Amino acid sequence: MLSDALRQQFDDLVKKNKVVLFMKGNKHFPQCGFSAQVVGILKELAVPFETVNVLSDPAVRDGIKEYSSWPTIPQLYVGGEFLGGCDIVKELYASGELQSKLGVEVKAVEPPKVTIDDAAAKAIKAADEGNGEHLRLEISPQFQYDLYFGPKKAGDVEVVANGVTVLFDAASAKKADGMRIAWVETADGGAFRIENPNEPARVKSLSVTELKSWMDQGKAFELVDVRGEDERRIAKIEKARVLDAETEKHLGTLSKDTPIVFQCHHGGRSRSAAERFLREGYTNVYNLEGGIEAWSTKVDSKVPRY
Amino acid sequence: MSTENAIKSAILEKIPDANVAVAGGSGGHFTIEVVSPVFAGKGMLESQRLVYGAIAHLMKGADAPVHAVDKLTTRAP
Repeated sequence: MLSDALRQQFDDLVKKNKVVLFMKGNKHFPQCGFSAQVVGILKELAVPFETVNVLSDPAVRDGIKEYSSWPTIPQLYVGGEFLGGCDIVKELYASGELQSKLGVEVKAVEPPKVTIDDAAAKAIKAADEGNGEHLRLEISPQFQYDLYFGPKKAGDVEVVANGVTVLFDAASAKKADGMRIAWVETADGGAFRIENPNEPARVKSLSVTELKSWMDQGKAFELVDVRGEDERRIAKIEKARVLDAETEKHLGTLSKDTPIVFQCHHGGRSRSAAERFLREGYTNVYNLEGGIEAWSTKVDSKVPRY
Repeated sequence: MSTENAIKSAILEKIPDANVAVAGGSGGHFTIEVVSPVFAGKGMLESQRLVYGAIAHLMKGADAPVHAVDKLTTRAP
């Protein structure tokens, strides 16, 4: 049961702060995907907001559900009014209603320039069931893509490329200018590949077979092993250099867009190292997925496993 | 009764004319679609509240059978 004291506490919180998000984790470290999506939207709109971590107190976690008559977290309050959870916030953001509630100006969005290659256009046309639904492309604040057929909505931005009509909500359209949609054949069948110049640099994944083909092609790149000497004595990839002071110095002399591949035992530590280099301004940073373990099982069985 | 059926009958109890589809279930995560004339003219918040209100008892407590609703769709036919 929601105590009077807690109800009063919630009342004060949502009245004193224009924007309050009850979430799992905090705005710097959301501990659930739905909370992270709402935080991403609020950050993108650049409005100040308070967060309450419901994981820190079970009474708050249960209490807010009762207070809002809403059984899930996150929950967003604006100006003392409960707006909803993740789905509703996304919908209000896409339609521009959230921006107007927050007093953020919504500017008319220019249609982005989008390129669709012939194979992708063909695949899209083949998937169209002709039931009046349109191809929609949503781009989340974290640049995750959702491409699907759905109804046209108010405020949509319409783009025609290579005979295909694509609908964007206003927020997605702003992140789409210059993007390319291609169709690529992979081992698991065909798939869309989206290249978007508006994406912030991020750590890219490299498989061990891709690494092997880079080596075979004589491609120019750096391969850095982030493990210590004790593990390197057991197993190593010949071309890889250890991440020591000398390597740090060497990498410092390279241009920031040099491809750098980070490798460890299973791919976890190397990802942390790759993210550090990304923060230092390198833009072409790869993580070797599966690490030397995958290299040994899929590429070079002479490399011992441990 | 399976959790899926429990969700379905709880919703039907509150909205008898609804057409309910429940999918998922792994890890207590579900996708729910409810179609009913009752949603006509109602906003998303009000519509979802109606459904969540019906299944709130299945989502309560630390070991609730319904851990999360990944997607809830409500619409009028």
